Amino acid sequence: MSKSRIQIVLLCEDKQQLVFARHFLEKMGFDKRKIIPLIPSVAQSGEQFVRESYLSEVKKYRQKCNHLAIALIVMTDADNLSVKQRLNQLSSILQENNLPDHQKEEAIAVFIPKRNIETWIGYLKGEKVNEEDKKTYNKFLKESDCKPYSENLAERCQRQEKLEDSPDSLNIACQEFQRLLPLLN
Amino acid sequence: MLKRLYVDNFRCLVDFELNFDSINLFLGDNGAGKSTVFDVLGKLQSLTTIDSNVKTIFKLSDYTRWQILAQLPLIYRKEKENMSHQVFILEFIGNGGIYEYELKINFLINILASASNDTFMEWIIESERLWFNKKLLLNVYEQEVTTFSDDGVEYRSSRYNFYQSIISLLKPDELNKKIIWFRERMKRLVILKITPNTIVGHSLQKSQLLDKTMENFVSWYRYIFADNQDKLTQLTESLQEILDGFIRFKLEQISEKALVLKLIFKTEELDQNIEFFFDELSDGQKVLVVLYSLFYGLESQDYTICIDEPENFLALPEIQPWLFQLEDLCSEGKLQALLISHHPQLIDYLLSSPIGYWFERQANSSVKVKPINSELQKCNESGLSMSELIARRWLSE
Repeated sequence: MSKSRIQIVLLCEDKQQLVFARHFLEKMGFDKRKIIPLIPSVAQSGEQFVRESYLSEVKKYRQKCNHLAIALIVMTDADNLSVKQRLNQLSSILQENNLPDHQKEEAIAVFIPKRNIETWIGYLKGEKVNEEDKKTYNKFLKESDCKPYSENLAERCQRQEKLEDSPDSLNIACQEFQRLLPLLN
Repeated sequence: MLKRLYVDNFRCLVDFELNFDSINLFLGDNGAGKSTVFDVLGKLQSLTTIDSNVKTIFKLSDYTRWQILAQLPLIYRKEKENMSHQVFILEFIGNGGIYEYELKINFLINILASASNDTFMEWIIESERLWFNKKLLLNVYEQEVTTFSDDGVEYRSSRYNFYQSIISLLKPDELNKKIIWFRERMKRLVILKITPNTIVGHSLQKSQLLDKTMENFVSWYRYIFADNQDKLTQLTESLQEILDGFIRFKLEQISEKALVLKLIFKTEELDQNIEFFFDELSDGQKVLVVLYSLFYGLESQDYTICIDEPENFLALPEIQPWLFQLEDLCSEGKLQALLISHHPQLIDYLLSSPIGYWFERQANSSVKVKPINSELQKCNESGLSMSELIARRWLSE
């Protein structure tokens, strides 16, 4: 199955995450015409939106994954929590509804930048970052300004290049993407 | 980039001001004044770029109705000489600075001395001014026209008439490049309400300007793509992903002056290609061709596209890819877009950024506009999407 045939539901907390993830996926060879964005409006809380949408999107994925080429990619900031704590938070939503956590063989992946996506972008721009810092690294004036850094990450990911001095949350995300990639192909 | 618009006394726009970003979404009930903003831009474009007459562009119905009702009796009783003037101000960023254009129009009413109290009404341009970085380039007032050359030298002359924009009449020369830049920028406002069934499939001549309904799309296509193979290749490749079996466009001469636009599709069944006239496409296919033609035809040339309900006629899966591309072009500074939409998918996606304006008005009162931003989170405890908030009429509360 070619990459371009798979439909990817991209559930994100805000536009910056979505733009970052979309450019990454496009650079990896996925078809932007097959990307379905799920994103809160400015009138909604981003973190709440992801939590509330997660359950229904996992259900939809599981209903369709046997006969459609689909994937679910989720991005949500860790904020004050650790990556594991945020993952557990999402897992507990499934458990509370008597659903198993997402499995290794499922094309469901959760990417959790800590403290937020700006920490990753700061690192990719060459800044020295500490994901435990409570500060938010500089936001872009326009979300699209992250494109070269997102594409750079995709190129390094394609080469399976080890990232030097990178935030732990980004390393975890890269490992998770390497798990997901064969399922998308 | 169009930066600001101020309008006073034009239909429902009274003391009305909007600042624009690279991408802008206008929302609001029917009759809230969204399309009126596009009408203003269209009229100012006609006045400043075509050798047009204010009397044919502006009509009595363009004057704020309740102002007419309030002022006419005073004029009839000769307690007031003239109606309050209409004011239009436009600001553009470009050519290395900021342009500000101001137009004041007056609606003259002369009550003829006759038994029937007949009236003679006409529009005149009371004043027209253009600044670049706050330095005056043009000042038209009463009988006098003052222009300033690019190096600041002042020239004075008399007005020919009170009905035409001086900007539309100027002949380009070495000394008025800044003013002419503004006129050319006005031409790059593309104001559309795409009506696919009115698009004419043939063309008699190339056309730089698109009609509002895109009736002359094929003539515009010739102007943009006929001599630009790179743009045409980009458009063709993009449409190959969208229109199943599409191979390429073909302009075919059908008479001494007329050309028709055809689209060539491959077919598996006949092992040969099939040519379709543009007229033969479905409305949705026509709109897809038109929307992507706008992208590849206009990008990177400092255009502002104003589209009233671009998603009309599109199949749902086609809206998002178009939005992705529009957003990329706008955020990269290759295009500016002003959109009006009532479509939930478009609204919910675009308003993940604070680029929206909510238009509202009570019956027979002026338009009020408020920006849609994260302040709304405070009163959206239910966490509803923007389209749901609008549908339930909770946005105004």
